[in-house]
Amino acid sequence: MTPADFDFVCNFMRSETAVVLEPGKEYLVESRLQTLARREKLGSIDLLVSQLRAGPVNGMHHKVVSAMTTHETSFFRDLHPFEALRKTILPELMALRAGERKLSLWCGAASTGQEPYSILMMLKEHFPTLLTWDLRFTATDVCAEVVARARAGSFSQLEVNRGLPVTQLVKNFIQKADNWEIREDLRRRIDFREMNLVKDWLPLPPLDLIFLRNVLIYFSVETKKTILAKIRRLLRPGGYLLLGSAETTFNLDDNFERVSIEKTSFYRLKAG
Amino acid sequence: MIDLDQLIEQANALAPLPASAVRLSQLIGDPDCHLDDVVDLIAFDQALTLKMLRAANSAASASAAPVSTVRDSVIRMGTAQVLALAIAAGARPFLQPKIPAYCLGEGALWRHSVAAAVATEAMQGLGEFAVPPEAFTAALLHDVGKLILGRFLTPAILAFIRRAQEVDHLGQLDAESLLLEANHAELGGLIAQHWKLPPRIVLGITYHHHPEEGRDAVCDLTCLADQIAKYIEASLEGRKGEIVVPPDLAERLALSPTAAERLCPLALARYTQVRSRYNAI
Repeated sequence: MTPADFDFVCNFMRSETAVVLEPGKEYLVESRLQTLARREKLGSIDLLVSQLRAGPVNGMHHKVVSAMTTHETSFFRDLHPFEALRKTILPELMALRAGERKLSLWCGAASTGQEPYSILMMLKEHFPTLLTWDLRFTATDVCAEVVARARAGSFSQLEVNRGLPVTQLVKNFIQKADNWEIREDLRRRIDFREMNLVKDWLPLPPLDLIFLRNVLIYFSVETKKTILAKIRRLLRPGGYLLLGSAETTFNLDDNFERVSIEKTSFYRLKAG
Repeated sequence: MIDLDQLIEQANALAPLPASAVRLSQLIGDPDCHLDDVVDLIAFDQALTLKMLRAANSAASASAAPVSTVRDSVIRMGTAQVLALAIAAGARPFLQPKIPAYCLGEGALWRHSVAAAVATEAMQGLGEFAVPPEAFTAALLHDVGKLILGRFLTPAILAFIRRAQEVDHLGQLDAESLLLEANHAELGGLIAQHWKLPPRIVLGITYHHHPEEGRDAVCDLTCLADQIAKYIEASLEGRKGEIVVPPDLAERLALSPTAAERLCPLALARYTQVRSRYNAI
């Protein structure tokens, strides 16, 4: 891959997704675009980049975004946040919202759906009453392709092996050929939508719980601040924001305070 | 980079393990397992019976009186070792060939696997924490995924993996995950499922690099066994062997620093003592 092509892809990714690809990441760009070029029968990365240069943003550009975006995810990833939700945060929120019986959740980097489905399985298992509330659960991702996969709720054996306990698999999935499909009553509870965090946001309701794990790390400081400002306007008083373990609001937005629960840091709006 | 469907297809196309070994693994993992059931199962498999008698009377047990029945063999060796031997007999043909993509010459993966299995025996001998019977088999098979993934690692892919390790300071496993969307540990878990081994063995193999994610003691023990196996190999090659036990793993196992220090030479001595038993399979 030529330095000029690498620079072009870096600039393209920065303008489309705000993802910052540092020098040295040539191996990553090359490995991912090589696969895409082969799949698209383009023969080489040169030809692929030529196509990107040639025209306005089109299907191929979206495929490059999808190829270059990390979709790594697993069921019940890191476990501790789920323990904190179960033991502390959800009981607290349920008490707080008992009058209105309404709760809104959003997963902002949902990838192929493992995180929102994990949350939903936990709600079903430990807080079944919540499923009788006005529960609004939105899950978004920048890539249309992965949103479609999340919406389908079908996972390979390799995917369910990543963090999903056998008991949950048996209770909440149906085996279809080589894949496992989430049960329909769970699948239809989540509204999966395509949304780019650095462009116009969908009209989301005021939120009680926001999951935005392992995505801010890819952005510049300015982009992180912009996203956190938008989150601040959406998060209801008493609501919580969960970031990845290597992410923080510290030095980015002073309106949040950190709350440590079960080896996990959550963030909420400072009082007043 | 690689076709995941093809990868899974190849994992699922591996020849099955002997039925008696699979049944034994299910039996021994069952908390209600009775000695008579294990003895009956082995007694109906002539080849396995011979292996058990030979192992029970091997050099490692030479100081004791010879045994001539399956029941005595099982009592002398313990169900976990019996299981490890049964699985080892079936798995050796898979673990023996060279895997150039992982710089493993002929027999190298087998020796590493045996060292890891023996390490779990040493852990049990240490008596500081419980070692479930599944840990032996999980340790023996922890790297079986390399067998399949190695077939897909072309020189170009290996060059990308090396770059990921250099630039982003990733370990082999995380570099595989980043570039291939799968890694040898997950593939190993898939193979264990294909072989119908019990869930704890699958977990131990799948999470041997990140045991905290497996949430089962077998994952911690398999991870530790892998580390000790590397210590054993280094020591036998005349290099300085040392292991670094991650603090969270030591905490979960309640493994004291002194116990960890005692474990390595104990495992090395045990390996030297019993490798003939495994190599004779």
